[in-house]
Amino acid sequence: MGLPGHHPQDDLLFGYAGGGLREARSLLVATHLAYCPSCRERVAAFEAQCGAWFDETPSVSADGHLDAILERLHGRLGAEPRASVPPPRPRPATAEAVPEPLRSWLDGPVRDRVWTAMVPGVWVSSWSRGTGGSLARLLRMAPGVTVPAHRHEAAEMLLVLEGAFRDEYGRFRLGDLIQYEPGSDHHATGDEAGECICLLLVEGEVVFLDEPGPTA
Amino acid sequence: MSAAPPFDDLILAVARHRDRAAFDALYRHFAPKIEAYVLRLGSDRSVAEELVQDVMLTLWLRAETFDPVQASAATWVFTIVRNRRIDRIRREARPAPDPHDPAMATLPPPSPEEEAQVALDGRFVRDAMKKLSPEQTEALRLSYYEDKSHSEIAEERRIPLGTVKTRLRAALAQLRRSVKETA
Repeated sequence: MGLPGHHPQDDLLFGYAGGGLREARSLLVATHLAYCPSCRERVAAFEAQCGAWFDETPSVSADGHLDAILERLHGRLGAEPRASVPPPRPRPATAEAVPEPLRSWLDGPVRDRVWTAMVPGVWVSSWSRGTGGSLARLLRMAPGVTVPAHRHEAAEMLLVLEGAFRDEYGRFRLGDLIQYEPGSDHHATGDEAGECICLLLVEGEVVFLDEPGPTA
Repeated sequence: MSAAPPFDDLILAVARHRDRAAFDALYRHFAPKIEAYVLRLGSDRSVAEELVQDVMLTLWLRAETFDPVQASAATWVFTIVRNRRIDRIRREARPAPDPHDPAMATLPPPSPEEEAQVALDGRFVRDAMKKLSPEQTEALRLSYYEDKSHSEIAEERRIPLGTVKTRLRAALAQLRRSVKETA
């Protein structure tokens, strides 16, 4: 029972394979892939399908302009430095280090953040990645503390990096990726056993249910 | 089965011998496909030409990373096109797991049952893809390969938006069923 039990839907895996996913979503999916050989297999199969579609494209070109580009390329082939084997990465300092690609994106240990308290016992990181309305952040829950009830006008996703939490939909642990439908609400509670840290993706407005928040 | 497909051999010839004749043959085969793909995704001609150069130069420099056991030649070239497009046109990074990451070795190992399941996962997807209707396959192709929104697909195929959504939902349900049947 070592592997994650909750996976991204195929919409995300296919979008990741085809290249349509934007940065923040890709970061969650790619980090889940580090934990999940099953989803790596599915992504490889979706990539192979895209490769088959790519191969169906006719190999014809209307005029000679591609020949001209080949001429130009010939001049560059000898000049460019060859790809070298990347140096071995430094071993992560602690056993709880998160895998790539998130580790490089975090640029430091998970806990080594500036945190903003949402309520006592629930924090979000000031660190964030992504663009516009789609941001990846870290969410930290103290043992047994519940994140205030809120509703998402757009997608929300969580990827468990440390510990575990539960809500109306189940119990989630290391490597699990949970997707919440737009318009749904849920009450996440950190496990009693220890802190829970998740990679959190929020898109669009988040409406807290027990206060007069903005309405979309 | 006889020898490996010719384009695999050509990439390996570039990797091992810097074979320029092999590179030219790869260029003639793939450059029109790359250009057509990038144009289909909405870039103009000059951007498409620049991406052709960029991808083919990447192929020349990174041919050593091609592994014919992992992917076909076309799939490998597609992944370069995809990644270079995200980098050059969308100006974003594409996060990807690193198979050599030492942190991956510290993750909980799969059980024997899980390992058996993982080995079958890719095959289920490939089998399920073959069973889709032509309309469902096309919906997946436009959505995930050509990166088109549901409304763009509806407009292009002259079908109602609801039909696009229904086809995609049915196709994805079919792919998902391929997992559940064996669970």
